[in-house]
Amino acid sequence: MSNEMLFFVANLVALLGWIALVVAPLAPRLFDGLAGWLLPGGLSLTYAVLMLVHFADAPGGFGTLAEVQALFTDANVALAGWIHFLAFDLFIGAWIVRDARRQGIAHWMVLPMLPFAFLLGPAGLLAYMGLRLIRSGRIAPNRGAVT
Amino acid sequence: MTGVVNDRFDLAGINAVYLAALRADPILTRIALAMVLSLLLTVPALLLEDRQFQGENVWLKPIKFQIALAVYFGTLAVFATWLPQAVMRSLRMRRFLIAAGLATIAEMLWIGGAAMFGTASHYNPQPIFYVIYALMGACAVLLTSVSLVLGTAFWRDRRSVLPDPLRLSLALGLIVTFVLTLVVAGTLSSLPGHHIGIPVTGATVPFLGWSREVGDLRVAHFLATHALHVIPVIGIAAMALRDTRHANRAVWVGAAGFAALTLFAFVQALSGRPFL
Repeated sequence: MSNEMLFFVANLVALLGWIALVVAPLAPRLFDGLAGWLLPGGLSLTYAVLMLVHFADAPGGFGTLAEVQALFTDANVALAGWIHFLAFDLFIGAWIVRDARRQGIAHWMVLPMLPFAFLLGPAGLLAYMGLRLIRSGRIAPNRGAVT
Repeated sequence: MTGVVNDRFDLAGINAVYLAALRADPILTRIALAMVLSLLLTVPALLLEDRQFQGENVWLKPIKFQIALAVYFGTLAVFATWLPQAVMRSLRMRRFLIAAGLATIAEMLWIGGAAMFGTASHYNPQPIFYVIYALMGACAVLLTSVSLVLGTAFWRDRRSVLPDPLRLSLALGLIVTFVLTLVVAGTLSSLPGHHIGIPVTGATVPFLGWSREVGDLRVAHFLATHALHVIPVIGIAAMALRDTRHANRAVWVGAAGFAALTLFAFVQALSGRPFL
């Protein structure tokens, strides 16, 4: 499979995951499993394989900003990095939906956070943390609710 | 052939064997499972990879080790179902098996890491690799010694649930595996490479990669390590003899014969001749 093809398929997989999150209240167990475990797991596996195959020959490294920039000039590593974003963003999105359900936050209140988490990752997480802070006065999960 | 062996396998195929193995020895079973699951990384890597090492895709070697270790530990896990629970569940045994599992993971991380960086995991001439190589040798001895420990347990288990010729064949198969693997692999690791002689045309046996022109010590390594499969099969065949003493004698002869074949392949390779 060419890199362009892999990029396309990975994006499609991530998009399916985000759609599953939007409609999660219809079948929570199915869609949580899909968007929270199966799809991020598959993306993570793809990332790991790409890094195994391409990382050793790539320029740069992790030590300085210049090294990281050099690393991402390699198309293969950039693809792996993109899939890293997709996998982690989706996993966080699924956590937001699960956590909101546990906290008794209505799904419609979470929906506006999801595009942020999808497109801007940490911004979506930040928005959800803000929502929780406003609702309950605390950010960290309640004791015993860490899952 | 009656007895526990058939009852186990007749239950419900592979899943029953897996569950029985998981119950008898969760550690060995999980090591085998980890080796199988890790193929999810290396098989796709093999398909995506362009780099070669010594004429082979760099991922072929880790995959061979993953398959071999999965078969090895899977076999040991199945064998463990026929050992007394008191033996397998003892604290000493559990600690030993966990150590062997960690050694196996270290070995695979090393071989996989070397493949990732496109360098040699064995026979690497750089000094730092020399140290790691010695460490990996210790890990290899540790994971091979699991067969000795289980073999000794079968040898001692006079009140075994198994017919005596089968128990004897398991004991001998496992002990022969350990001794011969140690001799052959020890020799292999002390030489500069697995070939004795210099291949010209590069003719090899498919997948296994054994040379068909010069001596290749990996043949003897393969045979030595599979004694734990071949000799128990001889044991099952020997049970056709009604008289237990005759059957036991047949197991001894069969085990000695297979050990002789392995040593023949070993000496043959050392003298520079191909096995096939």
